[in-house]
Amino acid sequence: MRFLLATVLASGTLHAATLDVDVKGPDGKPLADAIAYAVPKGPAPALRKREVNVQQVDKMFVPMVTVVQTGTPVNFPNRDPIRHHVYSFSAPKPFELKLYAGTPMAPIVFDKPGEVVLGCNIHDQMLGFILVVDTPYFAKSGADGKARIEALPAGEYDVMLWHPQLALPAPAAKPLKLRADETNALSYAVTLRPSPPKR
Amino acid sequence: MANPDIDKTTPIGVIDRRTARLQDRIVVFFVGLLMVVLLASFWMIHLTVERTAQKTVRSELEGSARVFKYLLELNSQKFLAATSVLTKDFGFREAIATRDRDTILSALTNHAARINASGMGVIGLDGIVVSDSLSPGSAGKPYPFADLISEAGTRGDASGIRLIGGKPHQIIIVPVLAPLPISWVSISFAVDDAVALERKRLTSTDITFVDASTNPPRILATTVPVSRQADLAKSVAAILKAAPNATRVNLAGDEFEVLSIPLEDARRAPLHALLQLSVEEGLENYKLLQVVMLFLAAICIGTTLLGSIRIARRVTRPIAALAAAAREIERGNYNITVNSTGSFEIQQLASAFTGMTRGLAERDNMRDILGKVSSHQVAEQLLKGEIELGGVEVVASVMFTDVRNFTALAEKMTPTQSLALLNEFLTEISRIVEEHEGVVDKYIGDGVMALFGAPVPREGDTQRAVQAALAVRDGVRELGKRLAKRGLPNPEVGCGLNTSNMIAGNIGSATRLNYTVLGDGVNLASRFEGLTKRYHVPIVAGERTHDQSTGIVWREIDKVRVHGRVKPERIFEPLGAVGSIDRYDLDRLQAWHDALEHFRGRRWAVAKAAFESLSGMQGYGRLSEIYLGYIRDLSATPPPPDWDGAFTLYEK
Repeated sequence: MRFLLATVLASGTLHAATLDVDVKGPDGKPLADAIAYAVPKGPAPALRKREVNVQQVDKMFVPMVTVVQTGTPVNFPNRDPIRHHVYSFSAPKPFELKLYAGTPMAPIVFDKPGEVVLGCNIHDQMLGFILVVDTPYFAKSGADGKARIEALPAGEYDVMLWHPQLALPAPAAKPLKLRADETNALSYAVTLRPSPPKR
Repeated sequence: MANPDIDKTTPIGVIDRRTARLQDRIVVFFVGLLMVVLLASFWMIHLTVERTAQKTVRSELEGSARVFKYLLELNSQKFLAATSVLTKDFGFREAIATRDRDTILSALTNHAARINASGMGVIGLDGIVVSDSLSPGSAGKPYPFADLISEAGTRGDASGIRLIGGKPHQIIIVPVLAPLPISWVSISFAVDDAVALERKRLTSTDITFVDASTNPPRILATTVPVSRQADLAKSVAAILKAAPNATRVNLAGDEFEVLSIPLEDARRAPLHALLQLSVEEGLENYKLLQVVMLFLAAICIGTTLLGSIRIARRVTRPIAALAAAAREIERGNYNITVNSTGSFEIQQLASAFTGMTRGLAERDNMRDILGKVSSHQVAEQLLKGEIELGGVEVVASVMFTDVRNFTALAEKMTPTQSLALLNEFLTEISRIVEEHEGVVDKYIGDGVMALFGAPVPREGDTQRAVQAALAVRDGVRELGKRLAKRGLPNPEVGCGLNTSNMIAGNIGSATRLNYTVLGDGVNLASRFEGLTKRYHVPIVAGERTHDQSTGIVWREIDKVRVHGRVKPERIFEPLGAVGSIDRYDLDRLQAWHDALEHFRGRRWAVAKAAFESLSGMQGYGRLSEIYLGYIRDLSATPPPPDWDGAFTLYEK
């Protein structure tokens, strides 16, 4: 995130807009791990070549939810003293990192947009998500349910919201016209699917 | 015995018209009673045992049902666990993820084999079949058991029993997690006879799986023999109706308790498991009990039979003995003792019986002695109370007999021999008297005094007296012939017979009485007996005897004036019944009576001639001689004009 912010700041903050998204769950409480992303209605912005890490700590994916721009290489560093076997059968990027310790040599490049569900073959409870989007403008809600997308160039966007448990159909894309130096706010109240039964 | 009406008896006891043997009745009663008790207890025990057996069988069935349900749950857990493990196989997940139908199908077949499932399928999260090893053709079509998928969606997995191709299967639905569900896997296990058999092994009951949606319900799998399946299928409706309770069903002749357990929520699938137990098995212990009871009952009946026969004999044997004794008494044998055994009452009866026997014996003895000392008739009538023992005036005939030259006879014999001979005479005479319904009043030395018409007067007494006298004459003659053969002198009998009024009654003191008759007529008869010696005739009868009898040929002997009496008495000798006397004798008799006429008409010469002509004839010698003597006397001293032709008896 620091890189991201740095990038935004570096690319001319004067013409940039900011989008504040407030996500609430069905009970009205702030919803964490929701991802808001703005897809420009013009040509796709260029990829910011940055590697992203999805760590395995205490038999958990950290962070559990990661959002990347299409084409972003992701490393899966294992911080646990045991090995993990990370895989995904998700259509955008089926992959498998057979039992490894430390960081695998090559990162996995997520070159198609979509939702990638991460699992570990030897630890059924491990669950992680990588949302691959065709835009560099995205943010993840924190515990307060707030996500801020900064450094948005003025223009027209479709603002999307995603959450691992978001009830289908997902909320429709919200068209938004942003002007420079303007701060916009969007709020979502979403319904969630029930948590998958623990098996 | 003083009862005035001898025919009226006093009834004692109750008349019972059933005349079965007492012994049989006792035995039948006791054995019958026992049988009733035994049957009742058998019935009660049977009822109780039947109920207990039913209860036992039902509670066993309920236990089995619990086991069965537990097995059902356990099995589904087992399958779920197995399937879960299977679906987490990375290779399998990878294969699913390929979305290549052929690969998936072959992986399914392979994995199904790992856990002995009969089929395995993959269903997309959208409910569309991706692949199914049981029906490869169903790919792309909606999965038929959407309810199970939906349940798995909420619960994480699902298990149910459904019909696939008409056959029941346990179907398990679990998600393929990667690590979120990417699709559903269905695994099915056939519920077939083998499963039923396995369940039977664990529950110890016969198991049947039925589909109640059809009519009649269809048996899907069972451990019940084919022979009973038809009956079972027919009973399914009733069994289901009784659920959750067991019900009694007859299958091919045997009784079973059957319980039905729904395999599924009835709305989802009308499948049931029937658990059945043989009632016979529940009654197995009772069978043994029954055998023991039958054995005991047989012993009981046998013992009772023997015991009651014994008791009955104890009762009836003395009665039979008493009956036998009574028959002996009837025959006149009083020399019996009734052994009194058995009960107190029987003892009393026996002792009373013995007392009665003694009484009867005494009375009979008395009658015997009475009969001996007097006559049977007198004795009898005395005993019957028919005779008034006071004196009464009767008209009767008295007969005195005397064996004339017995004294001479006795001289040639020892006293014992002569007594024996005398008794022979007396017996013969007594017999004849009794034969003619006369009564031997007493024996006077070698003579007999007999009565006809006393103590009981009867029609024809006189006639019978005459006939008796004739019979005595003939009898003694016969006896004489027999004696002559033994070289003994021929005895003659003299018989005096008279009919007159006389006093009959008991004579003697208060302690010793003697029934007899008294009167002139009696004395006269005795005198007539004495006259037989004078006239040399066997019988001398009085005038009244002569007058009162008919059909007898008489010879008039004489006219006698007994000492002390004015009126002379004509005396006669009966010769025999009319017709028994031949013509010649009757002619002589006529001649005799003519001669007697001449004599009484004082025609001495004519009479003398007549007597003289008769004097040479047999039976008339002595008589003619007497009359010729009379004529001689009367010729010498002619009688007075009032002479009546009677001869006066002076000697007593």
